[in-house]
Amino acid sequence: MEDMQLLSSAIVLGASALGAGTAMIAGLGPGIGEGICASKAVEAIGRQPEASGAVTRTMIIGDALAETTGLYALVIALLLLYANPLFSNLTALFNK
Amino acid sequence: MPAALLLASEGGFTVTGPKVIASFDLFGITWNLTETVFIQWIVMLVLLIVMLILTHRLEVIPRTKRQAAAEWIVTFARNMVDTTMGPKYKGYTTYIGALLCFLLLNNLMSLFGLKNPTSDISVTGAIALITFALTQINRARTGKVKGFFHAFIEPMPFMLPFNIIGEIANPLSQALRIFGNMVAGMVIGGLIYFALGNFAILIPAITSLYFDIFSAVIQAYIFTTLTMAYISGAECE
Repeated sequence: MEDMQLLSSAIVLGASALGAGTAMIAGLGPGIGEGICASKAVEAIGRQPEASGAVTRTMIIGDALAETTGLYALVIALLLLYANPLFSNLTALFNK
Repeated sequence: MPAALLLASEGGFTVTGPKVIASFDLFGITWNLTETVFIQWIVMLVLLIVMLILTHRLEVIPRTKRQAAAEWIVTFARNMVDTTMGPKYKGYTTYIGALLCFLLLNNLMSLFGLKNPTSDISVTGAIALITFALTQINRARTGKVKGFFHAFIEPMPFMLPFNIIGEIANPLSQALRIFGNMVAGMVIGGLIYFALGNFAILIPAITSLYFDIFSAVIQAYIFTTLTMAYISGAECE
């Protein structure tokens, strides 16, 4: 019984680690999106240098908004690493 | 990030939820006084004292630096509301200004060695729910009952599920945005302190510049701007 518990804990923890790493592939999206946003901002400033204040402010806001989906993935990854509900479900199952 | 120092203890690196200071049982539920609520009391006290000092003895023509600072804050909030919501929504200036100051100070609490209240999903979820309620109230107020339900089948009737999901996703994403940014700052700060150990001299300060100061200010500003955009965008013609 002890071996079974150890084995299933190992499987759940290993799968969680794999999932946490895979979740951060979603860091690709904001990287590309914010790069495009910055390039458009640079183009706009190049065409109209006196609007650089407003363009920069709007670019920062657009950056933070585009960051959101990357953050969702980070929350899932942190959840799997540090506050793993699957593992606590498993230990609750053992203690029953 | 100085608050993250507390996470990096000798045995390893763990991230825990907010610590419970006191708890009592009432009506069959356990009410926990967490450090989140306690630090928010500190934030409220600091804001109250600062605002009382700033608005003490106002004069029609500003003579003191105090009054100039107070007028700058009010003008900033009023300009924000004017440009984003339009002059019709002048009454929302007080709530938007208070929201901005509250979220700003909450996000900056990690500079003082305390845990951010906004790194607790309860706090950000509650404030996002307030925005959600204000949005629906504005929609109901301008459209009456018929306009409220008609707004969900704009522009085509088959958009109904997408509009409902969009309405629910707005406060959810708002809450998760600040929560994720603050928790990421806390975890990364803790990891850097844990990895550097006794040599944590220059690098934590540089990352703290981004995570503790820049991210905090930007996220507070974005939450407030999105609140204004949602409330004014829910207006039915």
